[in-house]
Amino acid sequence: MESVLALRGLVLLRDSVEWEGRSLLKALIKKAALGGEQVHILGCEVSEEEFRAGFDSSINSRLVYYDLFRDPLNWAQTGEALPGGPLGALQAMCERTDPGPVTVALDSLSWLLLRLPCAALCQALCAMSRQHACRGGGPAAEQLCVLGLLHRELHGPGPMGALSSLAQAEVTLSGTAGQASAHMLRRRPRQRPTLETLWFSVLPDLSLDLQGGPPLESQPHPDPHTPQVDPASHLTFNLHLSKREREAKDSLTLPFQFSSEKQQALLRPGPSPATSRIFYEPDAFDDLDPEDPDGDLDV
Amino acid sequence: MAAVATCGTGAGSTGSMVAAGSKNNVTSFQRRGPRASGSDSSYSRLVSIAGTRPSVRNGQLLVSTGLPALDQLLGGGLAVGTVLLIEEDKYNIYSSLLFKYFLAEGIINGHTLLVASAKEDPADILQELPAPLLDDNVKKDFDEDACNHKTAESNIKMKIAWRYQLLPKMEAGPVSSSRFGHYYDVSKKMPQELIEASKWHGFFFPEKSSSTLNIEPCSLTHGYIKLLQFIQNIIYEEGFDGSNPQKKQKNILRIGIQNLGSPLWGDDLCCTENGNSRSLTKFLYVLRGLLRTSLSACMITMPTHLIQNKAIISRVTNLSDTVVGLESFIGSERETNPLYKDYHGLIHIRQIPRLNNLIYDVSDVKDLAFKLKRKLFTIERLHLPPDLSDTVSRSSKQDLAEPSKLLGPGCGVMAGGKKHLDF
Repeated sequence: MESVLALRGLVLLRDSVEWEGRSLLKALIKKAALGGEQVHILGCEVSEEEFRAGFDSSINSRLVYYDLFRDPLNWAQTGEALPGGPLGALQAMCERTDPGPVTVALDSLSWLLLRLPCAALCQALCAMSRQHACRGGGPAAEQLCVLGLLHRELHGPGPMGALSSLAQAEVTLSGTAGQASAHMLRRRPRQRPTLETLWFSVLPDLSLDLQGGPPLESQPHPDPHTPQVDPASHLTFNLHLSKREREAKDSLTLPFQFSSEKQQALLRPGPSPATSRIFYEPDAFDDLDPEDPDGDLDV
Repeated sequence: MAAVATCGTGAGSTGSMVAAGSKNNVTSFQRRGPRASGSDSSYSRLVSIAGTRPSVRNGQLLVSTGLPALDQLLGGGLAVGTVLLIEEDKYNIYSSLLFKYFLAEGIINGHTLLVASAKEDPADILQELPAPLLDDNVKKDFDEDACNHKTAESNIKMKIAWRYQLLPKMEAGPVSSSRFGHYYDVSKKMPQELIEASKWHGFFFPEKSSSTLNIEPCSLTHGYIKLLQFIQNIIYEEGFDGSNPQKKQKNILRIGIQNLGSPLWGDDLCCTENGNSRSLTKFLYVLRGLLRTSLSACMITMPTHLIQNKAIISRVTNLSDTVVGLESFIGSERETNPLYKDYHGLIHIRQIPRLNNLIYDVSDVKDLAFKLKRKLFTIERLHLPPDLSDTVSRSSKQDLAEPSKLLGPGCGVMAGGKKHLDF
């Protein structure tokens, strides 16, 4: 089960108001720190003390924390702040990582998305993995993991779609009846994306407890009648006739069918000559001879 | 009058037949006129560029897109000087495959490539191209590096009725590029020597962008300006627009631009509704002008499912020449629809250009679906699977049984029954 969580590349943790994701983020950070990776954290939404609460001291000493919460616009001018604002902070984080497996946690990506232009943020995120690969070590896909916490309700479909197209994995948090679930969509290059659902809970010491399925009492009853999808419903060619069309088709008499109406029509005497006449006006080239109607043919 | 005419053509034909005896031609009939220079293909006088052919409908010069099925749907191929826009599917699996087919076709035909991307390094893209499926005898020659006379010897030993051995042999080059469209094997990669032998230029935007400039509204995004300058330089320096008269053979420039319009190019079209919406449309307009005056063809893949402002999609469609949309079934509710279970997605031909023509060259098949098998990418007409269930309605046969009773006893007893027969 733990191999399922071997996430690399850009990972979006999409949470919502009901199902918060910071605890899952912290659990993943703890797992990475225990695994011997370097962990860099960009803290924007909560203070450093609040974020570090819950980690024990050994892990806390391994975390490299960049604080943007206390003084995001650098008004205090203490000189500790990273230059260039949030974007500069991202680039500086990237430069300070040593080659090897690295986990970068962005708490939160929503904060950055609200303050930076989306295109610039996307470019910075892609540049992070590329620069890490340039610096040494193997291909960036295996070395760098960027965990970004994203609050779904804050953003429209545009930025969310743009970030999803860049991400290698998206974890959407939801749940039923007190049990949190994570829907993981993993995109691998040149392969079909895989979607799986994990039920988990985060214990007080920030370790992850993965469960197989939802608790039994909260499982919904399976739908007895799954609606049959009619394959012929939305096509450009029409296979089924409506009632009116069917009636019109049935009442149509075929031309070579000898029905009683046609029989009557044939037996009736033909129309009188007075009712049907042909009117013709001879034009200049006609030379009609009443006795010999074929006189003007050149045979 | 008519008799004199036949005599005239008779004299003409004998004259041409005399001339044909001296030439190494496939056919003995030859048109009177300037002699063909060496090659025996009848297209040799019209087309001197490898990998192209004139369209049979309007004479436009066409290149293959890499997929013969797609070529057929587009009316023979992609016209030189036009833009093919591929609207990406949601997870960009199949559109990147079509992009690779386009580049692989360029390498096989010996065209010059220009690959532009903001996400992947063009060198990495070229390493991932699919391997071509060669003909068996040509592949054998390529693998063993054998000469022509080996096959000639075996031919002489065979007793053939017609004098096939007098016909000229096919050139056993590395790849027989006399065919127009080639097939590729997706499970294998293109051999390294073919990639190295080809000429390509790469444009990787993160490397070319020097600094983050301020973007003025209503002007081109920085990335697009750089890309246009790059393309213009290549076209001018290599002489694709006829500016440097070259002694050597004319060639086609294949331009492939990946993920145009995504935020990685610096364009916030996908992120907001009221962004810099003129940038992409200006880029396409200028690009089309560059292409029309040069011997080049361009394929662009664009994530239109991310563009929030739908009016822009219609503008982009108008500014491109050929537009093909891919819709994959992954993750959508159509995946469970029994109609689509054999296929991986739908392909929509949204627009076909009307080049030097009054009519469109549209195929009459509107329901097309694609499937990625292990080796091939196939495009098929969407058809319903046969309905073999018991509940299928057979009422139409019932109606036919009724009037057949009126035909009279001469038709046989079978027509009289109400029950229809099941075969």
